[in-house]
Amino acid sequence: MAPPATKRRKLSHSDSSEDEDTAMSGSNNFAGNGSGESEPSSGDEDLMEEHGHYGDEDALGSEGEEGDAIEEDIPVAIKKRKTTGPESVAKLRKGIDDIPQDGVYTAEIYKSNLFKLQVDELLKQVKPRYGKKEVTNAMHALKSIIEQIPNREPQLVHDAEKSLLKSSKISTPFPYPRPPKDAKYKLEYEKPAGINVTGSYVLEIAAKHGDELSIDLVVTMPSSLFQEKDFLNYRYFYKRAYYLACIAAGIKDSKDHKLEIRFESLNGNSLQPILVVRPSKASIDAGGDLSASNFCINILLTPGEKVFSSEKLLPEKNCVRPKGSNDESSSRLVPTPFYNATLQADCSITAYLKVLHAASKQSDAYKDACILGRVWLRQRGFHGHVRKGGFGNFEWAAIMAILLRSSSGTGAPILSAGYSSYQLFKATIQFLATRDLTKIPFAFEAASIPLPKTEGMPYFFDGERSVNLLFKMTAWSYKMLRKEAKNTLKSLADSTFDQFDSTFILKVESPMYRYDSMLELPLTEFEQDTNHEDIRQTLPQICKKLYTTLTRGLGNRITSLSISLPEETGWQVSSSRPFEDRQGRILIGLETDPANSTRLVDHGPAAENKKEAASFRRFWGEKSELRRFKDGSILESLVWSQKDSSGTIVEQIIRHLVQRHFSAKVADSAKFLGDSFNRLITAGGLSGQSGTIPFLSLMTAFSTLEKDIRGLKNLPLQIRHILSADSQLRYSSIDPPFNASAQMKIPASIVVQFEGSGRWPDDLLAIQRTKIAFLLKLAELLSGENAQYITRVGLENTSQPSRNQSFLDIITPSGAAFRLRIHHDREAFLLDHQLKDKLLDGPTREATAHALAAYKRDFLRIPAHTQAMQTLCTRFTALSPAIRLTRKWFASHLLTSHFAPEFIELLVARSFLQPAPWTTPSCATTGFLRTLFWLSRWDWTHSPLIVDLANAESGADSMKADDVAAITTRFEAWRRIDRDLNRVVLFAASNLDPDGTTWTDRARPAKVVARRMTVLAQAAVSVLKDTELGLVAGTTGVVDFQPETLFAGPLSDYSFVLRIARPFTRFGRPKSDAKASNAMFKNLQLQMQSEDRDVETVGYAPVSLFVEELREVYGNTIIWFYDEEGGDVVAGLWNPMVTGKRGWKVRLGTSTVPVVGNSKPSKGNDDGGVDVMINKGGILNEITRLGGDLIEKTEVFDIQK
Amino acid sequence: MPSAKPNPKSRNHRVPTSVSSFTILPLTLPPLPALKSQPSTPHYLYIQPHDPKLPEPDTERSLFIANVPIDATEGAIRDLFADQLGGGRVERVVFEASVPSYAALNTNQADGTRGERRGKKRKRGVVSEDKVGVVEDAETALPRVWERGLCVSGSSAVVVFVDRASAKGAWVALRAAVKGGEEVVWRGEGGLGEKRYRNHHSLTFPPRATLQKSINAYLTAFTEAEAMRDRLRAKQRAVPDEDGFVTVVRGGRIGPARMEEAQAAKEKAEEKDKKRVAKDDFYRFQTREKKKEREMDLRRKFEEDRKKVQEMRERRGKVVVSGSFESF
Repeated sequence: MAPPATKRRKLSHSDSSEDEDTAMSGSNNFAGNGSGESEPSSGDEDLMEEHGHYGDEDALGSEGEEGDAIEEDIPVAIKKRKTTGPESVAKLRKGIDDIPQDGVYTAEIYKSNLFKLQVDELLKQVKPRYGKKEVTNAMHALKSIIEQIPNREPQLVHDAEKSLLKSSKISTPFPYPRPPKDAKYKLEYEKPAGINVTGSYVLEIAAKHGDELSIDLVVTMPSSLFQEKDFLNYRYFYKRAYYLACIAAGIKDSKDHKLEIRFESLNGNSLQPILVVRPSKASIDAGGDLSASNFCINILLTPGEKVFSSEKLLPEKNCVRPKGSNDESSSRLVPTPFYNATLQADCSITAYLKVLHAASKQSDAYKDACILGRVWLRQRGFHGHVRKGGFGNFEWAAIMAILLRSSSGTGAPILSAGYSSYQLFKATIQFLATRDLTKIPFAFEAASIPLPKTEGMPYFFDGERSVNLLFKMTAWSYKMLRKEAKNTLKSLADSTFDQFDSTFILKVESPMYRYDSMLELPLTEFEQDTNHEDIRQTLPQICKKLYTTLTRGLGNRITSLSISLPEETGWQVSSSRPFEDRQGRILIGLETDPANSTRLVDHGPAAENKKEAASFRRFWGEKSELRRFKDGSILESLVWSQKDSSGTIVEQIIRHLVQRHFSAKVADSAKFLGDSFNRLITAGGLSGQSGTIPFLSLMTAFSTLEKDIRGLKNLPLQIRHILSADSQLRYSSIDPPFNASAQMKIPASIVVQFEGSGRWPDDLLAIQRTKIAFLLKLAELLSGENAQYITRVGLENTSQPSRNQSFLDIITPSGAAFRLRIHHDREAFLLDHQLKDKLLDGPTREATAHALAAYKRDFLRIPAHTQAMQTLCTRFTALSPAIRLTRKWFASHLLTSHFAPEFIELLVARSFLQPAPWTTPSCATTGFLRTLFWLSRWDWTHSPLIVDLANAESGADSMKADDVAAITTRFEAWRRIDRDLNRVVLFAASNLDPDGTTWTDRARPAKVVARRMTVLAQAAVSVLKDTELGLVAGTTGVVDFQPETLFAGPLSDYSFVLRIARPFTRFGRPKSDAKASNAMFKNLQLQMQSEDRDVETVGYAPVSLFVEELREVYGNTIIWFYDEEGGDVVAGLWNPMVTGKRGWKVRLGTSTVPVVGNSKPSKGNDDGGVDVMINKGGILNEITRLGGDLIEKTEVFDIQK
Repeated sequence: MPSAKPNPKSRNHRVPTSVSSFTILPLTLPPLPALKSQPSTPHYLYIQPHDPKLPEPDTERSLFIANVPIDATEGAIRDLFADQLGGGRVERVVFEASVPSYAALNTNQADGTRGERRGKKRKRGVVSEDKVGVVEDAETALPRVWERGLCVSGSSAVVVFVDRASAKGAWVALRAAVKGGEEVVWRGEGGLGEKRYRNHHSLTFPPRATLQKSINAYLTAFTEAEAMRDRLRAKQRAVPDEDGFVTVVRGGRIGPARMEEAQAAKEKAEEKDKKRVAKDDFYRFQTREKKKEREMDLRRKFEEDRKKVQEMRERRGKVVVSGSFESF
């Protein structure tokens, strides 16, 4: 039924391929150089920004997409395919794309329609324009230059090098170690056997990245240059280096060149220097169009296939003989797999182009899948460069090409040619995720080839070309790759939410979001290996040692560890290869496991187990001690300090191990960054405990109270529920509610529901009175039961009779305070009933609707939300501190009163429940930062926030795609009703609250404030980005970043600021003053202490009341900003809509100054040409008058404006 | 005190003395230590003889003030006229809108009239049968939680003088003051600042006895009203009207479950109806139509998705976010 995947759309490049014929007719072989313009792919800035964080990566972008456009072969093949496919078929294909039929069925081939369409969009945007004139011309020129380079006579190594340096000022890029002085063999240059374009450009699987397009040109060295044994002892590489230097000399010496040349190591592999050619600045200036000339050509070298015996170059062979030994058969020789594979890779450049090309012929979707793979890898920071994981686009393309073929032994291929690009992509990801290539190597056509077992080394052995494709990978980069693949696989399996962004668009590699902890080790401190003058040679060993030591030491405390080294750049052709910059440092990123990372004691092997115990001791040194445990076992164990001063346990372990296994110098200079934000909130650290600990005392007090209330005997009705409905009771208030010494100031809301009874009155107002009666009774009984309970009934909403009007404050003996309200479900029915009354007048209807919404929120949603968050906070240890940190962020920017705490909690919960593209945050910092990151990208005008709070692993009553669709429909309906976003600005739904407006209805926040939130989040993210770029570039240290910067904003953004007098802020709560003033009288002091519980002020927040009144008095004239948790400023902003000059009328809704207007007196209105302006000075005086002693100072920033 | 206009802007422009039929009275505001850095700006009242569309008996002796200060109170306005504007005696002041709107505590919100009509109005609620109205008076109303309210910024007030002569005198004095550029100073009644909120906080928790008394009074009144309604209904049930019809009214039983029961019964009946209908895959055409529908649905969804992606594309690049509040 489904049309085969081959009916996929041929993207716009079909026209350009038609034009190839003309290009091909010449002697050149630059496939795809036709002058035909492919559809200009207009760059999507947003998207590209995400892609292009590190624009200079392109400089290293040759990627080693080895391969070769063999003369005539590929172009002909392409032509054939085009001609054999009748035009009608092409048309049909195109047509199919336009009719929905195609889309109707894509859901099976793609994840969803939406996913497919977005993939199409992405592909369109990242594909570069093939066949630009400038590129073609440059390549033609380059080719003819190379062809004209004269041969050079064979010379001894040193003579050759010297003469080249003398004649052309080219320093031959010999690999390390340099050729021995007494080398007998000679170096020479002969005309190349072939010059071809290769790599992603010719295969049309390139992707735009930054602005630069890189093209690989492979020069085949004539086989006459090499001898049979040249594969040994770097001889091939010396010859290759000389050959490259000769080409460089040739280009440099050619008269009409407008090119700049540099040496680089191909993928950071110092054995393979390459030449990078760019149009020189002068030529760009002359040529005018800068963007068109933005490309580079990488000149690679290959000796051609079958020059050396592949038998000798198998991974387990040794090709670098130790000095003084020429015994080939010696079995004690250490295998040199990296060397061998590098040589083989050089030989098989052409062969791989063939393979990749065959794959793209075999499967129509192959090219697109390659591009998807590229994008995926790039967002995760993987690159073919040895320092960036050694898994790049070429490896992706080659693995996919090989998986498309069936191996003789293994039967059916893993990928099918009929797959769509998405299916190919997903299946490849699946292959990477599920198959551990370090344990079960993948061998293609290589059943009989023995593969050495190296710890942590993955093998994907291509027997036909006899290369391990993953030879550049390290144990840790392979682990990261699998982790990312697993993660992506998981999110692709998610049918509820669209995971396109997390798969392709989001930059996953950003260390600030990705890692929980970071460690920085400066290279200067490492011991210089005396044999090597350049630390580059010892770096791999250092990294390996670091990796094995740290992974062994940290064990299951961490889930991943990655090591990154400073980036390498190319060098001038006239100078020799530069040494590693000793100013650089090793950056180690750690993802911790919250369940284990704070464990205080590590158990080692038992004492009887002598061998293991000895190894344990050797590893840990003096830190290891023998301990006897409760169960009688005597174990080697490690005990870590819990003191704050000694840092987190992970840090302690790392410092200890680095000191023990490297040197004290390294350990001292190591800088550690872990969960750096948690110190901003009280008891925010997770060291040794769960994030919910600070709330324990309140939870205990609550359960005691619940028991006491349920235990009351003479209640007129039985109690059905006692539910908590407060952020303090769901671990999410910024400050932990109280401790033993202090009275809790803000009572925690709880809701009581009595069993149903027919004796309730059937009238809204009478119900409210009955509630008060109940509360009075409850208070009386509770105080009677336990005289230590302080109770009092309070009134609220007195001007809105249909809303809840009363509450009972209960202050427990321990100092906890609760605010109890009665939930009576009949209210909802009566309100609803009243709303259905058609005769109801507007204002009453509005008030009733408001009351109903408030009822639903206070009595239904908040308790349900509280319960859900309680569960989540116990499930995710880092959730509670992350929420508190995020709320603190909102509070620091004076936004608290505009955002419901529940809304903020949903935001943070989203980062934990839908963590893709990362995994669930395991410390407060990452949870908070990822929330900010998401916030900065949230386009709330067009998309809702949907959180599935039930998203348990079990998935019992988690949301389905249908639920999400229903919520989206509701969201769209709101947007249609309220186009200007006057009522609902942010839409936040969850499985508990499919309405989506419970927390944000009635412009809470207003559009202006929501925009402010986004701007602030974006500012924070850009600060983080700068830090990150600094980290990557090595200019900022991990500890240089000050978390506080994200929490401070200039007050001058506001129009004016009221500085609150100190006693009314959280910094100057009067407690200490009271004590000081009474210090002289001991008896008074004692009395004070017993009454110190100062219950009078529980729930008393004068500044909040003040701001609330200001809000009501000034309506929409002024927007108010205040941190309700005792902030020291109240900021106001004149609403620009009302500050202008207006005509006079009686009711303007704001205090005004009359001014002589220029408006002519209009008819019927003889106001004498008087206009009015808002009376800012007068209003400020009013505000300050009202505030009285609450205000210390009123500062104005823009009265003149 | 300087008699010159304290308006610093007077250099730039003359402040008009009247607009329409209103006289503009600048009020010098008290200097405040917390607001030292700012030049003091006067507050402006717009005053005219009261002239409502529907004249009331008091209209003759009233002045209408627009743009009253937010801390205006009856006392403050009385003092203003008594001490600085001709000494006219004010009987009462009716404010248009106050915060917190405790006028609404005892009147219906739908009732847009200004002023505090405490305890006078019957809760109209809605003309609905099961609504029982209780007349709230000082005894049954809940205790107040604010000592006094504030005026909404830019709202108005009607000042009722003891007699016509006082009103007239005040009006003349006021115009003279404006013309002569005399300084009129605004003196609030005080009681603002933290004290106000502390007071509110303690009023929020009324003494138990007071509260109990008010509740008891209310519930007694409520029970009475309920009994009265039942009697009325019983009467309506029993006595035919002049055409000989008996009005059908709810009654007989009292209890909150009636409406729900009716609804539940209705739902049950509907359920039954549904069961009776033939299953929707019984006939072939039904299957066919269903299939068609499903296909249409898929097609529609695809179209929607396509539109969504297109919109997304259009949106991207447009997202320009600038610095701070300038982007409002």
